[in-house]
Amino acid sequence: MTLDKLMLGSNAFEGVSYLSRTQSLHYLEFFAKEDNIVPILEAASNVGVKTFVLSNCGNVMAAVHKFTKSNELTLLPVIPNAYEYAMEASEKGVLGAVLSKAKGFSMYQKVKLGLRALTKIKSVISKDVLDLLLELIHFEMASFEKYKLGGVFLHGQLTDLALSSHNPDILTIFQDLIRDSYGVEPMLATHNFGVLLPQLMEWKIKIPIMAPFNKKGFMMRPSQEECERLVNESGYTVIAKKILAGGRLTPEEAFPYIKGKKFESALIGIGSVPEAYHTFSVAKSVL
Amino acid sequence: MDKDKKLNVGIIGLGKMGILHTALVNMIPQAKLAALSDVNKQLAKYVDQAGLRAPFFSDLDKMLNEVPLDAVFICTPAFTNLAVVETCLKWNLDIFLEKPLAHTLEDAKKMTALAAAGKSIQATGYLFAHMSLFKKAKGLLDVGVIGRIHRFKSSTYTSEVFGKKKGWYYDKARSGGGAVINIASHLLYLLYWYFGRPETVFARAGRIYSEGVEDDATALMEYPEGVNGTMDVSWSVPGYRLPYMDLTIEGDNGTLELTNDYAKLYLYKAHKGYPKEWTTIHKIDMPVTSPFELGAEGLYEEDLDFISRSLDRKRPAVTWQDGLEVQRFIEAIYRSADRCKVISLNEVD
Repeated sequence: MTLDKLMLGSNAFEGVSYLSRTQSLHYLEFFAKEDNIVPILEAASNVGVKTFVLSNCGNVMAAVHKFTKSNELTLLPVIPNAYEYAMEASEKGVLGAVLSKAKGFSMYQKVKLGLRALTKIKSVISKDVLDLLLELIHFEMASFEKYKLGGVFLHGQLTDLALSSHNPDILTIFQDLIRDSYGVEPMLATHNFGVLLPQLMEWKIKIPIMAPFNKKGFMMRPSQEECERLVNESGYTVIAKKILAGGRLTPEEAFPYIKGKKFESALIGIGSVPEAYHTFSVAKSVL
Repeated sequence: MDKDKKLNVGIIGLGKMGILHTALVNMIPQAKLAALSDVNKQLAKYVDQAGLRAPFFSDLDKMLNEVPLDAVFICTPAFTNLAVVETCLKWNLDIFLEKPLAHTLEDAKKMTALAAAGKSIQATGYLFAHMSLFKKAKGLLDVGVIGRIHRFKSSTYTSEVFGKKKGWYYDKARSGGGAVINIASHLLYLLYWYFGRPETVFARAGRIYSEGVEDDATALMEYPEGVNGTMDVSWSVPGYRLPYMDLTIEGDNGTLELTNDYAKLYLYKAHKGYPKEWTTIHKIDMPVTSPFELGAEGLYEEDLDFISRSLDRKRPAVTWQDGLEVQRFIEAIYRSADRCKVISLNEVD
């Protein structure tokens, strides 16, 4: 498979900041309005970045819907939206959080899913936990049905949870589901690249992986050296994220680190229109 | 310590934290995930399909009878902890107990006393002790970078409760309380770790959405040698994706502001290798301290610390005595808020 060299990420649009509470609050407030996301999609598109890695968040999906050139975008959803489920899980439990999400679907979506998923989810604890995962994925994917998909990432928390079980079944099922039901490439997000990749090799699972890579070694586990060695020697398709180390590196400092290493793509989160033009232009000149 | 020995570990309670500890124990080379337990029998299916290669028991006694264990992680609702701890201590097991120790000070004292009578290793889940930035800040305070401390202010907020909620977590009889015991307890641990036990507490607590527990609280603490501090907590503030902590400490030689993201020093005079005026230490710049991460920074280190201390029979980073001090702090805040009077910590028994 071939992925675009540069991709836009949605972290800032969801209020994620690793630098400070002040920045996180600014993102949350500013990007709560989809009208403030659309110009960034436009700017990215203007410099040729037309692949968007995103979660199934209301404001982000509304922006994609509103963006007049959304038919030119290739979307790479990250599913499920683990943050939303985790937030609701303390009150409702994991199952309750899933059901709550399902309630938000339109009648059209429910009919399209044949109500099958709702029925299954309600009885899932007594029946089949894997069914829950599959139906959850179907629920999430329903939001993306109008758009061109380039692949689907399994959320890093689920990838890493599956990794910790020392059992390849969940990853195999995810791969089959994405290929069979949506006809696109399944991919994995992780925060444990250096642990995940050797395990995938042992399981003989060849799949694109998205993981943090940056000059500072931020979130590179078990170590920056090991992650670099694996990306260069493994032959796996790797998408680098957190290249700017959560904003601690400028684009000029960050992109030379990526150059020369065997990355398929670089994912960059953007917080403003000027930042989009500056960051992507530096990336293009370096890579 | 036998370097080849693996600790046989059981997990009790498979809620959100139980699942996380199960995953982390499974990734720690010095541990073997030997058994899982939850009162919900239907979770056997989860254990099987998640590929966990450990037997599942809905009956704790049966698990303890059938599986030889060295240690357990107890991740059950707080109101059940005492009974589970009593059972596990009868088997002389080392115990990691998720925070808080219990829903009441009385239960926390009972289980700490029971544990003290034996030789088992006990740890509890106050995560800040395992986060590199907070350890760094502790080091700065210990060497006196900001000089003699006068006062501090602290807060922790999250966007979690904006309407009436159901479940044991929001029922004081079972959870022990609301935002203070469930959200602020991590910050209260940090304050205890940095400043020790306060002499007195005066607190007010309020309900906005919840009927049975507090949604917010403010406390004023007095410490020996004239140090004063404040703590503010709410789980009903918009704009906080995750719980966020802010602690600003003022000393003779400047200030230290500590948050989840950075530690910022302002020094009047250069001291202990830190320059005059501003120095910011970002979490992003701290070295990676664990080979694996899931759920939150520090969780792997927390579990590894307990497992390592169980193997070498040494004191873990956060003991039940520490947990009991936090519980006493929480109790003082609740008593003060209820009675609208200053509470002396030494009288909280």
